[in-house]
Amino acid sequence: MMRIINNIGLVFMIFIMSACGDEFLDKKPLGQLTSESFFKTETHAIQAVNAVYANFRSWEFCGLPYIGATDVISDDSDKGSSENDGLFLKEIDDFLFDATNQTFSTIWLGHYNSISRANQAIINIPAIDMNEGLKNRLVGEAKFIRAFCYFRLVQWFGEVPLVDKQLADNEYFTQTQSSVQEIYDFVEKDLKDAIASLPEKSEYASPDLGRATKGAAKGILAKLYLLEKKNAEALALCEEIINSNQYQLVPQYNLIFTEANENGTESVFEIGAVALQAAVAGPGATPYNMVQGVRGIPNLGWGFNRPSDDLVAAYEPGDPRRQATVIYVGEILPDGVTQVQDNPDIFNERFNQKAWVPAHAGLQDNGPGNIRILRYADVLLVAAEAANEVGNSAKALEYVNQVRKRARGSNNFILKDLTITNQSDLRTAIRKERRVELALEQHRWFDLKRWGIQSEVFTKLGKNFITGKHELFPLPQTEIDLTTGNLKQNPGY
Amino acid sequence: MLFSTTSSGLFNILLVYLTTKYMDKKKYYFIALLIVLVILKMNAQFTVSGTVISESGAEPLIGATILEQGTANGTTTDLDGKFVLDVSGPTATISISYVGFSEMIIPIDSRPLIDIVLKESGVLIDQVVVVGYGVQKKSDLTGAVSSLKGEEIQRIPTPNFAQALQGKIAGVYASPPSGKPGESAVIRIRGTGTLNNSNPLYVIDGMITYDADFLNPQDIESIEVLKDASSAAIYGSRGANGVIIITTKSGKKNKNGEITFSAFTGQQQAAKYISLLDGSQFARAYNQLRGQNYFTNPDSLGVGTDWQREVLQTAPIYNAQLGMSGGNESMSYAISGNFFSQDGIMKNTSYERTTVRLNTQFQVNPWMTVGSNAAYASSNSQNGPNVINSAYRMPPVLSAKDANGNFTDPTFYGLALGNPAADQFYKSNNFGKGTSLLGNLFAEIKFLKHFRFRSNYGYDFNKSESKYFEPKFAVSASQLNNNERLSVREGGNNNWIWEQTLSYLNEWEKHSVNVLAGFTAEERTSNEIGASRENFPGTTDELLFLSAGNDTTQMNFGGASEEALNSLLFRTNYTYNDRYLLTASMRVDKSSRFKPDNRTGYFPSIGLGWNASREAFVQKLNIFERLKFKASYGILGNQAIGNRYPTSAVVTSALYAVFGGGESINTGATILSASNPNLKWESSKQSDIGVEAGFLDGRFSLEADWYVRNTFDIIADVPIPDYVGSQNNPFVNTAQVINKGWDLTFNWREARTVTYAFSANISPVSNEVRKLAQGKTEIFSAFINGEPATKTEVGLPIGSFYGFKTDGIFQSTEEIANSPKLGNEKPGDIKYVDTNGDGILDGDDRVNLGSPIPTLTYGFNASFDWKGLDLNIDFFGVSGNKVFNEKETSRFGVYNWEQRVANAWTPEQPSDNEPRVTNGGHNYRVSDRFIEDGSFIRLRNVSLGYTIPASITQKIKITNLRFYISGTNLWTKQKFSGYTPEFPNGSNSFNVGFDGGTYPLAKSIQFGVNAKI
Repeated sequence: MMRIINNIGLVFMIFIMSACGDEFLDKKPLGQLTSESFFKTETHAIQAVNAVYANFRSWEFCGLPYIGATDVISDDSDKGSSENDGLFLKEIDDFLFDATNQTFSTIWLGHYNSISRANQAIINIPAIDMNEGLKNRLVGEAKFIRAFCYFRLVQWFGEVPLVDKQLADNEYFTQTQSSVQEIYDFVEKDLKDAIASLPEKSEYASPDLGRATKGAAKGILAKLYLLEKKNAEALALCEEIINSNQYQLVPQYNLIFTEANENGTESVFEIGAVALQAAVAGPGATPYNMVQGVRGIPNLGWGFNRPSDDLVAAYEPGDPRRQATVIYVGEILPDGVTQVQDNPDIFNERFNQKAWVPAHAGLQDNGPGNIRILRYADVLLVAAEAANEVGNSAKALEYVNQVRKRARGSNNFILKDLTITNQSDLRTAIRKERRVELALEQHRWFDLKRWGIQSEVFTKLGKNFITGKHELFPLPQTEIDLTTGNLKQNPGY
Repeated sequence: MLFSTTSSGLFNILLVYLTTKYMDKKKYYFIALLIVLVILKMNAQFTVSGTVISESGAEPLIGATILEQGTANGTTTDLDGKFVLDVSGPTATISISYVGFSEMIIPIDSRPLIDIVLKESGVLIDQVVVVGYGVQKKSDLTGAVSSLKGEEIQRIPTPNFAQALQGKIAGVYASPPSGKPGESAVIRIRGTGTLNNSNPLYVIDGMITYDADFLNPQDIESIEVLKDASSAAIYGSRGANGVIIITTKSGKKNKNGEITFSAFTGQQQAAKYISLLDGSQFARAYNQLRGQNYFTNPDSLGVGTDWQREVLQTAPIYNAQLGMSGGNESMSYAISGNFFSQDGIMKNTSYERTTVRLNTQFQVNPWMTVGSNAAYASSNSQNGPNVINSAYRMPPVLSAKDANGNFTDPTFYGLALGNPAADQFYKSNNFGKGTSLLGNLFAEIKFLKHFRFRSNYGYDFNKSESKYFEPKFAVSASQLNNNERLSVREGGNNNWIWEQTLSYLNEWEKHSVNVLAGFTAEERTSNEIGASRENFPGTTDELLFLSAGNDTTQMNFGGASEEALNSLLFRTNYTYNDRYLLTASMRVDKSSRFKPDNRTGYFPSIGLGWNASREAFVQKLNIFERLKFKASYGILGNQAIGNRYPTSAVVTSALYAVFGGGESINTGATILSASNPNLKWESSKQSDIGVEAGFLDGRFSLEADWYVRNTFDIIADVPIPDYVGSQNNPFVNTAQVINKGWDLTFNWREARTVTYAFSANISPVSNEVRKLAQGKTEIFSAFINGEPATKTEVGLPIGSFYGFKTDGIFQSTEEIANSPKLGNEKPGDIKYVDTNGDGILDGDDRVNLGSPIPTLTYGFNASFDWKGLDLNIDFFGVSGNKVFNEKETSRFGVYNWEQRVANAWTPEQPSDNEPRVTNGGHNYRVSDRFIEDGSFIRLRNVSLGYTIPASITQKIKITNLRFYISGTNLWTKQKFSGYTPEFPNGSNSFNVGFDGGTYPLAKSIQFGVNAKI
């Protein structure tokens, strides 16, 4: 009997012991790092910052909705494509949208995705044991991108939630909007930190060209100052860029957007892209070229972002920038061979030549064109605008005429130097110059907003622009719904 | 003897030391071996064994009681009617009893083997049902368990048993997500209890699995559905959504070999087509849309192309099955082979499967049985593209090919659509192959009279391969492929489970006790690898291997994951006087999915029952053949979320940045998805009260259960705001949901010249959200055109539809001016209702628009047998649910419209219910315009068979020969405009009931034969 009890006891002991094999239950994700094993080495730091840049190429960041929220909504372009394609952009073009339009939710997501990636880098990299110089630079790059994203968001949406960390799960739904001034101050601080830690363009080795630079951070900060009417500060920053001797204008305007001039002398900041021979959407591509490309064979683009009649009429007679900006039917494309065919389903088609790319590896969605974010010409025009606002017409003329000079090339009969000194007239001239120089590079909506002339411009064009409403975009309806009252919709929506 | 009494204590200590030292997978091999050794030495005494069969059908009686006279020593027969009993000596006497049969008393007379034939006593035979880790007499159950015999399933010609469950069992809702060949069904037991994966757990011959698609329905002996806590709690952390136990056919001992053959062949076609605009109607609508006469003479376009019929086809279905089974005194076997082939009703889709099964069992000696069940299945499928959406959208004015035989370019209309006929032509070189091997090995040892030890090792290996070649082609700017590409992928799962259970059975006087204790360990691993190359020297089959492609274009990927579960289980059944029943169980689970602090879950249950019909005062009433009351309560768990590492924030790599003059790719990596380290078990408190009754000499019976499932800490990936910047929604313990309902089953059976039977099962269920976590009052999901289409809130069913109510059409600008509006309305646009009456129409006016969850599901079955003719009819239906016609809301270009647009509002021909023709914007806001009634009733199956009289067939040595004709899904009454109103979502309960363009349901007619030799 004792034996039996003993043996039964043994069986039950084994039963009980089987419950303690906890190592058996410690299963870690295979083939993937986790938050516990990441942000430990210099390589991790570099990769985390690369990941922030990677989001630039996403549909949410630079796809069709982004084109809608910048060019199509402005007076520079119409929806384009065939009549019934991409109707959500028609609503944008006509100011008939509401808060459910996918334009807003997409760009919102795209920019907050970048911010989230930047936040992780900014928070976690400082604790890594690594080269201090590199560490500072990487954090500076992430801060530049975070500031750049918030700067866009505040111009589009006004008051938005200012998220500067990884939110915990009890914070997902409780964020509230910061005031516009708070966001401006946040952007300014991030950019100042970036300026302090980032190298000049020439200090980067060639393989790192395209990373954020001191000049890029100064350029974006100058634009913020201009928006805040801190014109003297804006001018000073621009002149620091000008005097840094890092940049010069590409001699021929129509060559700025070619592959040869990617990260070229005029480039202050741009989004890198490349078409590798790879599956449908290659690992280095953007949708930017596809959505604006010539619709139909051989370019196979979608044909959105049609240069508007108003833009075409804005160029001075003979300005070669019009031809370099607009693709017309019958035109030979810059590859020198392809002629644009008439597409019977599109009336009076035109396309954005600045987004055009020649034949490349992969399908049309393997867009290889770098997206120019900040050109030296833009810096010069910001300098001109700021100089004029502080009453220094001489400087204003000097900078704006550099831009005109390059545009006219060797043809001295066109685009003569400006000589106006009356502040108001010069202001008009600089604005006009800015429009034609930077047309269809996604600046116009922000410029109109900064100048406070949206209502005037769109009313003149007969658009359904409602003053006091359409200056700002509506917050995405999904965000309003999900936060149940914590986020306030913009007036009128 | 392996070790002596005196040394055993020391030996035990040594064993404990060794066991703790080797705490890995090998531990289980070791422990099992150990237990076998321990038990081996406990056996002695005289042993008698045998089989108990019934007199009439020569069927083995399962669960018959064998008692040594004058002692409390006894046992019960197993699934094969077999028993082994250690008795005090060769002169002992045993009694054999079984409900419904006359008791027998037999002296052993030194015989080690005694076969017993029991005579029926005229009382209803008690059914034996399979429960978790054992079998039980149905009369002893305290839980809600429904059984279904294999024959019931085999009548429906489907490769997947889950589809055949539709309408068969009260409280079990089975719904095919599409008509794709080989497709499984989504199964819900007692409603949707959770927000995430509500799929039940499958246990096939003891092997726990989440996928039973490989199973050949013809191999099924029985299916048991465990619906309540008392029955399912033994599966603890995975029992909350119910458990389906499948037992495959095994041979019977001492039975002559039997050969069965069956085959059928049939034709399938779409059960329904969607009513769309024809050519001239489309042209008129298009003219209205553009406000100009784009088509100058719409009438001349006639009917145009019927794109649905262009991409669909009539498709054959075949099945052939051969089985053999039998056994002698010491072994039994069942072997079967099956071939099933089904072409899809969509062109270039097909599925075929070959399965082989071998189930064996060996009686090694009177106290030890070993056996195995093994199934091998291999499947091949062609996975042509699902073009049903583009067929639905394609304008009927376009033909599939032009006059030159080239595929038509549909982008002329601004369509971002591919020509579906061209997609079917170019994208169908897409083949899949599946191989699976699932089996278990078990040994059962009886010792010390009342004890049984069972060790069961199950292994599940499956591998899937796919191979897709896309040739170069160009139909239009958006439908082309510039580089021919071959992509291959291989994925595999390796799962093992080892269960050790010890049971103690004893009966004395009026007491009967059955105690089970055990521990189990299981591990599941998955891996996949894939690669592609471009540019091949030719496109014939023998060249379509990666090696032939250009190696500079090669790409590859791979990944793996694993999980493990450790459990302890315990259950006791106690019966007093065959009348008073008690079941108590407890399972402790530890899962690798959670962090150590939240890893362990405890899942207890208790059940009580009263067999009232065995009380004298009830028998005196002379009404009830059978009457039982039962009640149960318990806590079950759920961890079946589609992520094995929900508590880990993983780093996504391959986030490339492009820098430098050389435009090089720079690897980036970061955390893209929020995670939740605090995640814990989802739990469900389940209560059940039930009654079973039989009347009128057993002709009429009913079972009724009332239940409450209170699920809390529900794990769900709740949508979070985009400003969080997370790519995925993290899993959180988010809500509490209550399901209440009834499971009612009625049976009537009359056996005379004409044998006929009717049965009905009816399951009303209500679903209500009780609480949402994180202080939230609502969860929005299913975003369509920029706004949520479902809103989950307290007091309403999960995933209730949400949007604007409509109230007719604006007829004039004056009417618009005087009404609340969104702002951009024109005459002919929909009037949305200002539901809150504040005079302003805005997002606050959106309201609950109904639930996608049926409030009632039901099935009816009728069968007749008359002189060899048999007729069977199955109906299935649901009601009380709504369906969202999502495909109608998506209009990225000029798609064809549904038939109702033919009556669209125009200034000349105003309409009160159909807005002007538009292609987006105002009229496409989420509203009740897209919500339809989801109720339906379907003739699931009807079959008519004739069995050739045995007097004729026996001349050619055939025991049984039956021919039949059957039809599946021949008739459906539904209000919904789409193919079928069933849109289950297997993994996300927030997004159920959306028709985003599903593979159409097929109806079919088959001829078949069954033979037994």
